[in-house]
Amino acid sequence: MRFFDRILPFVFVGAALAIWEAAARSGQWSPLLFPSLEKIFRELALFFTKTEMLLEIQVSLERALGGFALAAAVGILLGIVMGRSRFVAELLDPLFSGTYAVPKLALFPIFIFVFGIGSLSKVALVFLECLYPIVIMTYAGARDVNRALLWSAQNMGASRAAILRRVVIPATTPFIFAGFRVAVPVAMIVVVITEMVASADGLGYQVIYAMSSLRTDRMLAIVIVIAALGYALDKAVVLARDRLIYWEKLDTYYV
Amino acid sequence: MKAVLSVALFFFTVHAFAQTPPLIRLGRGFAAEEQVWLMSARPDLTPNQGKRYQLKQILFQANPERFQAFLAGELDAGTAPGLAVIFARAQGMDMKIVASVCLEAGAPYFATTYMVKDDGPIKSIKDLKGGTIGVVGIKTATDLWARAGLINAGLVPDKDTKVVPMAFPVIGDAVRTGKVSAGTFVEPFYSAEMAKGGLRKLFTAVEAVGYEHELLDIFFGEKFLKANPDAVRAFLADYVAVTKYYLANMEQAKSDLHKAGFVRTPLPVYLKTSDWKRDPDARVNVESLKKLSAFMLDKLQWLEKPVNVDGMVDQTYLPR
Repeated sequence: MRFFDRILPFVFVGAALAIWEAAARSGQWSPLLFPSLEKIFRELALFFTKTEMLLEIQVSLERALGGFALAAAVGILLGIVMGRSRFVAELLDPLFSGTYAVPKLALFPIFIFVFGIGSLSKVALVFLECLYPIVIMTYAGARDVNRALLWSAQNMGASRAAILRRVVIPATTPFIFAGFRVAVPVAMIVVVITEMVASADGLGYQVIYAMSSLRTDRMLAIVIVIAALGYALDKAVVLARDRLIYWEKLDTYYV
Repeated sequence: MKAVLSVALFFFTVHAFAQTPPLIRLGRGFAAEEQVWLMSARPDLTPNQGKRYQLKQILFQANPERFQAFLAGELDAGTAPGLAVIFARAQGMDMKIVASVCLEAGAPYFATTYMVKDDGPIKSIKDLKGGTIGVVGIKTATDLWARAGLINAGLVPDKDTKVVPMAFPVIGDAVRTGKVSAGTFVEPFYSAEMAKGGLRKLFTAVEAVGYEHELLDIFFGEKFLKANPDAVRAFLADYVAVTKYYLANMEQAKSDLHKAGFVRTPLPVYLKTSDWKRDPDARVNVESLKKLSAFMLDKLQWLEKPVNVDGMVDQTYLPR
């Protein structure tokens, strides 16, 4: 990769920050609405000096990753079974296709009544939101297994369990990780929104607390923390993918 | 001839623009602001409207959004809880309270009520230890009263009792099903939930802080006040007249508001609801705002520095 290609993303980020700062200092907008970078980063520094704020990160991460882990466990299982069984696919595909576009966040009040106002309702909603991309991607992957590989395994006398373990799951794994990459940011978004709606802790609660105090600088500092967490989680998924699926590196040819 | 007509048309247009009264863009809420809404529902009660000022009311669901719109220059005025204006002034927003809308007061008036399950174990505020109170929003008046009630009972908010935000319509069922130990009830939800039964009063907003105090006020931007003092005076003259009409003809006024779509509660239920205290002259209880401000600073640590409440209220625009 050339030097220019390496620094290009940073140039864009720097340009965006410079535009923000110029706008904030222009006097066109109230600093309460459009705070300067200096104020935002001062609040960001303050955020990391407070132990209770680090606990808020922990609370939100536990909720997001808890829901995501459950969705991953159930989603992979369902996706693979759907991909390898026509009966199950015909049974469940209409359900997932038909309800994918439903905004599950609208169901949050019902979740509160069923699971309570604490962490469980938030984890349950994260689970539901993350389940769809994981199931759909895994299902696509499990259906897409190369027939030649399946025939070869059968000809070599492999059992159904062995075919699943040695052929289907490895062939589906890239799709599973594609589903994870969609689901991880969804988990963060859902957890923050649910904490904004009904919670007494977590990063979403801190966002609404800062908003209610008319502290846009503090609110944006927390938004930066949320963005950084989302970025770190996505990178962790990519890293795990590259480690686990070492045989399938992305090799895009750009024309 | 053409030239004469053009010049006449030009002067007519200039004259017409010069005669257009200033537009007041007012951000309103969805509860307890009856006399404000009535100004738009019954413009015949406001003789100055259209002549000395124009009024456009814009609905907001929450205070932060209303203030953001004000900061963005999209609003000239609005209704807001006194404590929200204290917050805004603490952050340096150039706004002033010019009139009162309603107050939290004792009987015979309605006061925001915190209720628990009728057959539940909570008999006093102290029993809320380890429980949860549902309020409408963080750092709102409902949050302040909940915390005041807990503090006065010797409990530490957030540590002993969690305070969680939730929407008014779901609080009743949340209390009944035990999802929260206590919840905040305002009209018309209070009457509707009382009719359903199964809930019992624990304390009111007035009992929580210990004194009658401002609930909602009308604020104006300072720039607008300076630029359009006559329009504000005319607006407030109409506002006071409408307040007096509302207090004297509550049933008719409520029916008019319902007909105009400002209230969605079924009319028979709405007509039966008790009302907040409203000063007929729209005078602001400044002392109560000072007490609230001191409570927010000292007990809740919601403010980083004291707010000059006297400088925040300007009642000189009200009719003498």
